[in-house]
Amino acid sequence: MPSPRLLQALSRHVQEQPDSTALVFAGERVTYAGLDRLTRRAATDLDGVDLGPVRALCVPAHKSPETVALLLAAWSLGINTLVPSPGLGAAALATLTAQAHGPLSAVAVPGGGAVLTRQAADPALSDGFSAPDPRESLLTLTTSGSTGVPKLVPVRTEAFDRFGAWATEKFGLDGGTRSLSFSPLNFDLALLDVWAVLQAGGTVVLADAGASGDAGYLRDLTQNNEVTLVQGVPLLHRLLATGGARYPAVRTVVFTGEAVSDQGLRDAFAACPAARFHNVFGCTETNDSFVQDIDPDAYMHPLPIGDPIDGTDAVLLIEGAEGTEVLRGPGTGELLVHTPFQTCGYLEQARNAHAFMPDPRGGGAMFYRTGDLVHRDADGRHFLQGRTDFQVKVRGVRTNTLEVETVLAAHPDVVEAAVVALPCPEAGTRLHAEVVRRDGTTLSSLGLRAYAAKHLPRHAVPSSVGLGGTPLPKTQTGKPDRNSIKKTKLNGAS
Amino acid sequence: MITGDNDPIREYIVREFLGGEDTEDLTDDFDLIESTVVNSLGLVRLISWISETYGISVDDIPLEPDVYRTLADIRNFVRQAAPATV
Repeated sequence: MPSPRLLQALSRHVQEQPDSTALVFAGERVTYAGLDRLTRRAATDLDGVDLGPVRALCVPAHKSPETVALLLAAWSLGINTLVPSPGLGAAALATLTAQAHGPLSAVAVPGGGAVLTRQAADPALSDGFSAPDPRESLLTLTTSGSTGVPKLVPVRTEAFDRFGAWATEKFGLDGGTRSLSFSPLNFDLALLDVWAVLQAGGTVVLADAGASGDAGYLRDLTQNNEVTLVQGVPLLHRLLATGGARYPAVRTVVFTGEAVSDQGLRDAFAACPAARFHNVFGCTETNDSFVQDIDPDAYMHPLPIGDPIDGTDAVLLIEGAEGTEVLRGPGTGELLVHTPFQTCGYLEQARNAHAFMPDPRGGGAMFYRTGDLVHRDADGRHFLQGRTDFQVKVRGVRTNTLEVETVLAAHPDVVEAAVVALPCPEAGTRLHAEVVRRDGTTLSSLGLRAYAAKHLPRHAVPSSVGLGGTPLPKTQTGKPDRNSIKKTKLNGAS
Repeated sequence: MITGDNDPIREYIVREFLGGEDTEDLTDDFDLIESTVVNSLGLVRLISWISETYGISVDDIPLEPDVYRTLADIRNFVRQAAPATV
């Protein structure tokens, strides 16, 4: 965990087990003593650097022991690190850094140390964004924003420590744990498979980001290093089980991220005959909230999301006669959770009013609105049903149609825009936009698509645009009637 | 500017990818790939159309997006591959 407790645990490991392996990367082993040397080298490069009044630093999550050491060095100096995807473009990176009140980004260099770059972004970009306080949070995660710039989620140090304590007990982490780190370092999954494992004195096997779709590479990496803990999306477990591969050393298998198929479960059972199986449910904002232990000899499919983790409180919210109310007993509603691990809120203050609310039953605890539609059966088990909001998957990428609408509506010649997801025989799902053009302008659908392509990732650019001068159909509450737009498109031509 | 009336390539792009809306924004150097007007699936459709329309074997049509980035690029490619038809 990015916390003083993690740093203390690491210095203990350096004293007590300097020659045991902390990290494996690209065939090389880095011992705890070696990781300590890399960390000191990075700290030398960071010490005395002007980080601005907030002491925030952007560290793109290039996967390497040097990046792990750079993060440790920053935390030891009381610097809040913003850890975005290394795949972000320069402009998005500069924007994020400015939003997190940081003037600098740092990239670890092979062999240790860091190269610092001053970001030339408008400081006004941080207007409306809280400054992360390194005394409360050393790590700011980003959530995969479906459009453009991700959301910034600071994680409180005490929340990290609670998560570390829970994960260590739940998954039996100790010096003998060898985890496979499959997901990128900027994902919240790294809190378990990198940071909690290092805190426990175990070994982290870093999978090369570039080869992460390669089943043979992952099999060899996992088998040769006798990995004991595998956490990841169902795709990872499917890749590992390819070709009937076996992993007798694996003790713990954790499914997360999305629903696992029954076949996927059975393949994992066969691949890891000595393992215990768990499905965890959560999101970046709250970290894990529910966990389901899976007994290979007696499980139900689809899996329930599981039981609330100790200290987690969850309610289902429904639309009642007088506004929203808490669902008692069986039924379906939006899942709201309060976890011991959750963030204190997005840095962008305007986002928080919608995403967080006080306990709807009264009391002061803040609950996160997950946007997940969850069904509770008569036995009190919870099952994920889908989303309450505008999330759709386009070519496998979670995309928020409402955010696409916002981007289109920001075009100066656009009065209003509605975006709907339509079935597509080739891509599964595609986006269509209905847009009202301002009177007297000459905006073409091509011009708008080119504009969208500049401001959105490719998958989020509508593949067709209907452009007109008459207002969009509206619901009774005055919102664009997206259902009617969708029906018209489905029943009409192309 | 060449108009849709005598430019079958432009006509095809407008019909297939722009829902029939011809516009002055579609200049000869408009980037069809970067703007996502032609995505990876669209590229496959475009190549198959070029093959049928100009009698060029699919094997002789490269898959690189750069060849089809703009109307001018597509026209140049067809002119090279099937000189008699354009």
